[in-house]
Amino acid sequence: MEQFLQVLLSGLATGSIYALAAIGFTLVWQAAQTVNFAQGEFVMLPAFFVLIAMNSGLPLPLALIVALAVSVFVLGFLFKKAIVEPMQKHGNGGGLSLIIATMALAIFLKESVKEFYGAEAQPYPPLISGGTWNIGGAIVSVTDIAHLAISLGVVVGLTLFLNRTRTGRAMQATAQNPAVAEILGVDTNRMVLYTFLINAALASLASFLITPVYLAKFSNGEYLGLIAFIAAIVGGFNQIRGALAGGLLIGVLDNITATYITAEYRAAIPLVLLIGIILFRPQGLLGTSEGRTV
Amino acid sequence: MLELKDLYGGYGKITILNGVSFKIPKATITTVIGPNGAGKSTVFKAIFGLLNIHSGQILLEGRDVTGQKPRDMIGHGVTYVPQGRNVVPQLSVYHNLELGGITADDQDRVKQRIEVVMDQFPMLRQFRDRKAIELSGGQQKQLEVARALLLDPKLILIDEPSIGLSPNLVQEVFRTLQRLRDEGVTILMVEQNAKAALAMSDFGLVLELGQTRMHDRADTLLNDPKVGQLFLGGHMEETD
Repeated sequence: MEQFLQVLLSGLATGSIYALAAIGFTLVWQAAQTVNFAQGEFVMLPAFFVLIAMNSGLPLPLALIVALAVSVFVLGFLFKKAIVEPMQKHGNGGGLSLIIATMALAIFLKESVKEFYGAEAQPYPPLISGGTWNIGGAIVSVTDIAHLAISLGVVVGLTLFLNRTRTGRAMQATAQNPAVAEILGVDTNRMVLYTFLINAALASLASFLITPVYLAKFSNGEYLGLIAFIAAIVGGFNQIRGALAGGLLIGVLDNITATYITAEYRAAIPLVLLIGIILFRPQGLLGTSEGRTV
Repeated sequence: MLELKDLYGGYGKITILNGVSFKIPKATITTVIGPNGAGKSTVFKAIFGLLNIHSGQILLEGRDVTGQKPRDMIGHGVTYVPQGRNVVPQLSVYHNLELGGITADDQDRVKQRIEVVMDQFPMLRQFRDRKAIELSGGQQKQLEVARALLLDPKLILIDEPSIGLSPNLVQEVFRTLQRLRDEGVTILMVEQNAKAALAMSDFGLVLELGQTRMHDRADTLLNDPKVGQLFLGGHMEETD
């Protein structure tokens, strides 16, 4: 029982980090109707910005702030202006060509990091290095609890922003019905930009939290992107709480499998979950089917 | 109030409006009729800045507003209610109304106006915290009309307000429009139910092939046998 609690908590902690990336997926999907297949690389890259900042002499907290700012600019602003907007101008709102462009971007980012930083995994400083707490006999890691608290705090904050502020509601209007948002005078272009900036910030946070576990490596995005994508689909792709549930579920299942069954098959678990969901509940755990009319 | 001078425009390079000209006076209701594809809805989009205008002019109270964006048109006191469903589905009725005032600087005033329009449409007050998607089609249309009134517009462009509404609700929407007209608001409307719409309008406008064919008093058009034969009778489909 004690061990189960530890496994559960540690799974939730990792899962909440996956959820950050998965939520970004769904936000970009809603705002731009595109699947960002470079999302994994968006989580891989900010950690390298931190390392570069630290190598130039900045202390960790400052390096994190600089990396966050650079990430939000590059992965949010530049991504939208240099890739998404030009592709969307080519008829039907981007469509397949935009999706392929994000795949190309993923390869570009991955290979660039390999070229300029090396293929070796780099040690990366943990954000929180705590000891353990004994809660009712269960030994729990303070780092896990902190990860969970930070991630959930950000998700709650984001949800409050989207629901309780006028800007947040204007962003929802833009995502749910862009034509109506426009005729009501919402600056839809700006709302979509905000979404991209938020996505970049979420990916950065996920990067800062998860990289101490995986070490900083150019290929980290492959697995993380896949996990985030599956978490978003499992949860129902068009909802924040769905992506959150999907991320947490994958984190917990992954940990339980590794502990109680075998670590060899842990990588298969998200894929099995994905197949199960597509077969039996294609709208996702919490999702609603999206009505598309011509 | 509103004047279109020889307007040409369309989507991309496709031209739909081939020289539309008309002038509508303040505090009147004008109904636009015409066959399928005549450019009725397109005229509204052109006025509201949602269309590529190739040439011609749009004057609002004498001021040239040709090619201005929807945000600017709202600033000039124009609102647009397109055909079909136009609510933000997952937001509450109250927050849908609030979006009608998103461009306003004075948000306290928007709050007051929300109360006023909820007085005019009591159903909205009753369901103020319900998601818009949970309303019936007729209720959603009322929400859209109420939302269009939020900033006290001078000119309302309303496209097919009666689609999906029961005859009672259609009469209610028409009465609302007449009351607004009496309060000084100018209304330009496209309506499938052309006879009923002309009967409650001051003026009628016949569009055909993207051009103004006729423009006269509504009762004159209603009694014109040619108009009756071509546009008001039989199995005409007036969706554009």
